[in-house]
Amino acid sequence: MKTSRKLMTLVLSCLMVVGLLVGCGGSKGDTIKLGWMGSLTGEQAAYGICESQTLKMMVEEKNAAGGILGKQIELICYDTKGDAQEAVNVAKRLCAQDKVCAIIGPNASGQCIAIQSVLDQYKVPDLSTVATNEKVTVQDGKLKEYNFRVCFLDPQQGKIAGSFVYDELKFDKAAILYDINDDYAKGLKDNFIKVFAAKGGQIVAEEAYTGGDTDFTAQLTKIREAAPQIIFTPIFYQDFIMIHKQARTLGIDLPMLGGDGCASQVLFDAADAVDGSYVINHVSLVDPAGDAFRKQYADKWNGAKMELNGYMAHDAFLLWCAAVEKAGSADPAAIAKAYCEVEVTGMAGKIKISATDHNPVGKSGCVEQIDGKNKTYKFITYIAAD
Amino acid sequence: MFSWYYIEGILIQSCYTLLIVLGLSILTGYTGMFSFGHAGFVCIGAYISVLCTMGFGLPYGLALLVAGLVAMVFGAALGKITLGLKGDYFCIATLGVGEAIRLIFNNLNLNLNIGGKQFVLDGAKGIASIPLHTTLPVALVIVVIFLTATALLMNSKHGRSMLAVREDELAAQMSGINTFNSKMLAMCMSALYAGVAGGMLAHYFGYLQPKMFMMVKSTEYTIMVIFGGMGSITGSVLGTILLCALPELLRAVGDWRLVFYGLAVIIIMIVRPKGLMGGKEITDLKVFKAIVGLFRKKKKDPPSDVPGPGEELPV
Amino acid sequence: MDLQYYLQQLVNGICLGGMYALMSVGYSLVYSIMSFSNFAHGGVIMVGAYVGFFALTALKVPFLVAFLLCGVGSGLLAVIIERLVYSPLRKRKAPSLYFIISAMGASIFLENFVIATIDGTPRNYPTLFSNSIKIGSLSLGLDSLLMIIVSAVSLLVLMIIIQKTKIGLAIRACSYNEKAGTLMGINSSLVIFVVFLMGGVLAGFAGMLYGMRFIVKPTIGQVTNKSFVAAVFGGLGSLPGAIVGSLLLGIMEIFVASINSSLRDLFVYALLIIVLIIKPSGLMGKPVEDKA
Repeated sequence: MKTSRKLMTLVLSCLMVVGLLVGCGGSKGDTIKLGWMGSLTGEQAAYGICESQTLKMMVEEKNAAGGILGKQIELICYDTKGDAQEAVNVAKRLCAQDKVCAIIGPNASGQCIAIQSVLDQYKVPDLSTVATNEKVTVQDGKLKEYNFRVCFLDPQQGKIAGSFVYDELKFDKAAILYDINDDYAKGLKDNFIKVFAAKGGQIVAEEAYTGGDTDFTAQLTKIREAAPQIIFTPIFYQDFIMIHKQARTLGIDLPMLGGDGCASQVLFDAADAVDGSYVINHVSLVDPAGDAFRKQYADKWNGAKMELNGYMAHDAFLLWCAAVEKAGSADPAAIAKAYCEVEVTGMAGKIKISATDHNPVGKSGCVEQIDGKNKTYKFITYIAAD
Repeated sequence: MFSWYYIEGILIQSCYTLLIVLGLSILTGYTGMFSFGHAGFVCIGAYISVLCTMGFGLPYGLALLVAGLVAMVFGAALGKITLGLKGDYFCIATLGVGEAIRLIFNNLNLNLNIGGKQFVLDGAKGIASIPLHTTLPVALVIVVIFLTATALLMNSKHGRSMLAVREDELAAQMSGINTFNSKMLAMCMSALYAGVAGGMLAHYFGYLQPKMFMMVKSTEYTIMVIFGGMGSITGSVLGTILLCALPELLRAVGDWRLVFYGLAVIIIMIVRPKGLMGGKEITDLKVFKAIVGLFRKKKKDPPSDVPGPGEELPV
Repeated sequence: MDLQYYLQQLVNGICLGGMYALMSVGYSLVYSIMSFSNFAHGGVIMVGAYVGFFALTALKVPFLVAFLLCGVGSGLLAVIIERLVYSPLRKRKAPSLYFIISAMGASIFLENFVIATIDGTPRNYPTLFSNSIKIGSLSLGLDSLLMIIVSAVSLLVLMIIIQKTKIGLAIRACSYNEKAGTLMGINSSLVIFVVFLMGGVLAGFAGMLYGMRFIVKPTIGQVTNKSFVAAVFGGLGSLPGAIVGSLLLGIMEIFVASINSSLRDLFVYALLIIVLIIKPSGLMGKPVEDKA
């Protein structure tokens, strides 16, 4: 009796697997498949959700207008949970199973670097939105054939941060607090120090924490002793908020400067703590030129606020459309080739990808100050990235 | 239908996970010691193997072997200091060691120059562009080798000693078994398996980052062993395939898959703590015997109510 | 670096330790009765933090009400987990490792259930107390002060319950020897119920305080692991041990972080291993043999 019940369980589980295999099969007719991956859950979810929602909105719009090359676009979105290993799984699924012609995302450098081997194997191009680490497109002097991006790089961002602090704010004493676990934070920190020190600035304290840490009082107390004029925090928004909250209770009223990972609507939940700090961005979040786009997004998604990633996803999508039209087919290799040949004007200005390093040329960064009282940003300046 | 490439990927993942689970099964399922730090050994294996292939230019097979051996040495060292601990405390110690290993790699910044070749280990940033050596045939061959080895080990004197330790350490000691040696052997073997699997993992993903070896991973491996059934190789295989491949196929279900995962563990602990196979092997099942019987000329079946190994697990 | 600096770091350490203490007594309470490490406790704390968040933002109740709601919510959850998950195992007299695994399962379930139903985005508590008290160059946030006071008061109340009341006596008896306690007419089910309830209520308080000071997210469990280390450090199963261990761990962690901030977690886990090797029973725990 017992054995037969066991057998039943086994058979049932096998049936389940087979059922799944069959059930998931079948694709919808003749469409052009575009893949997206990014964090829909986890720490950077706010970014990923905005990216995917923007893409969904734009794909719908494009499809309503007749699609591309006479075909409808099918957007396939997967969650990477902000995890590199998960990103590899997702990339494999998109390339091998869904057979997409191109991928947009993921929204973190670590994940972009991780999926390179998969992209090379399946020869599918990836166009990244906000992966700023230099290793995303070029590593050890070798160009990665299928990695592209529409944003500036960490050395450029470090340069923007360094020259903003030294030239614009005229500060020469800076402290750094960064996440040692995060490749993005580490890259940005190194590049900031390089530029800032070369200009004659002094790093009075360089403190690290480990991703997942929530208590920063030890490091902040040390920074307070070192008496800097500004704290550079190349990290993500939730840590940015916590560091601000704890700094204020420790009596540190200095402004902080965050990278492009800090700019988020979530900041305004802690408006009085982050008031007066600066963030670097790819595009001004209060530029009137983006009003229509922001409104369209808010109407579509229940009044949701547009994040930086939405602008970048918007630009990436435009570039993809142009590349598909240029290539005249949905062949991944042809699209990869076309990425370097087209030029579009997106939310963040003109985008032209260089064939030698797959990075956009002539980008500039924008620095904005957080206005906690009115829960908005105050545009400060544009700084050329090159 | 799913494309072959995609299924292949899942199969490779199942293969190296199975290796880890088999190793853990020797420690947990057969010897009765729970480890929540196995991801640490996998981490060591992964990094050592990458150092071997990318740094020293060793062939893949040799790199896996070195990775396994280094992990084994670590396992032996860990065993030396923690095997004296009892029950819960051993468990907690392995948890601490697993996390500590990950954190060490997180803080490790190396810039090695090996024969003119640069090998950079940049802590949390991870290593990219690792050659993709782990193909399905390779993975299958390795798994079959280790499956056979496990079966042989478990049917040897040492394997039976381990079982005795799990059932009753004191009694085992009194019947002349050197319990410390048995536990040590289990520890070393399971570290070896994890090390080799780590090497396979690194050369499958092409990317390595300490973050990939969080404590959750160790828990997942332990859960697979329990799910399949402690003290059963068939159970380990079944547990791995079900828990490793299913979530991947069920990606569409999204967030809920891990919810079910947690729920499944609780239900199994309550309803069927011996796991799916209940300490039996596939060769113990009546069905299997019946099928074999069909092909063979009627040979007398052994009386079927003889308990299989692990049947008498105290519950 | 002057004295003020070290004093400030000490204050920082006490704040952190106070929070660990609220969390670690939950681990220790359960261990003292049932001899297993209740890893689901981290999930209970996390749910408490979410209860507080929604009470403050969606229901817009005053702070004190939200605070009590946290305690009630987490306390109930802890009791429900005990009934549904541990009670069947207890009836079967399953080995303690099964409890640990079930607890792990429960913690995976809670964490992902929150991710699936709410979402994984970190949330920020509305600012309640933004002022800070200044004594010289020493600075102590009101929220930190509140945290220390709440920790101290609730731990004091807990100690009084354990030491002075009848049910406290029963708990102590059961933790000494459950079988003997039952033979003396103690309703061990009731004792376990009370233990989980008290641990849960404290977990809720800890969750709320944690959320106020830091941020609410489903993976708070990684932080609660450190409070578990504190419980082991102080001696699993010993309440004074958990409190002393937590405070010491908090202070040491802050000082390690102030020397080399990337080593703090490594230090915590290295401490765990060293304690287990040298004195597994921790600072104030009973000898291990009793409970193995």
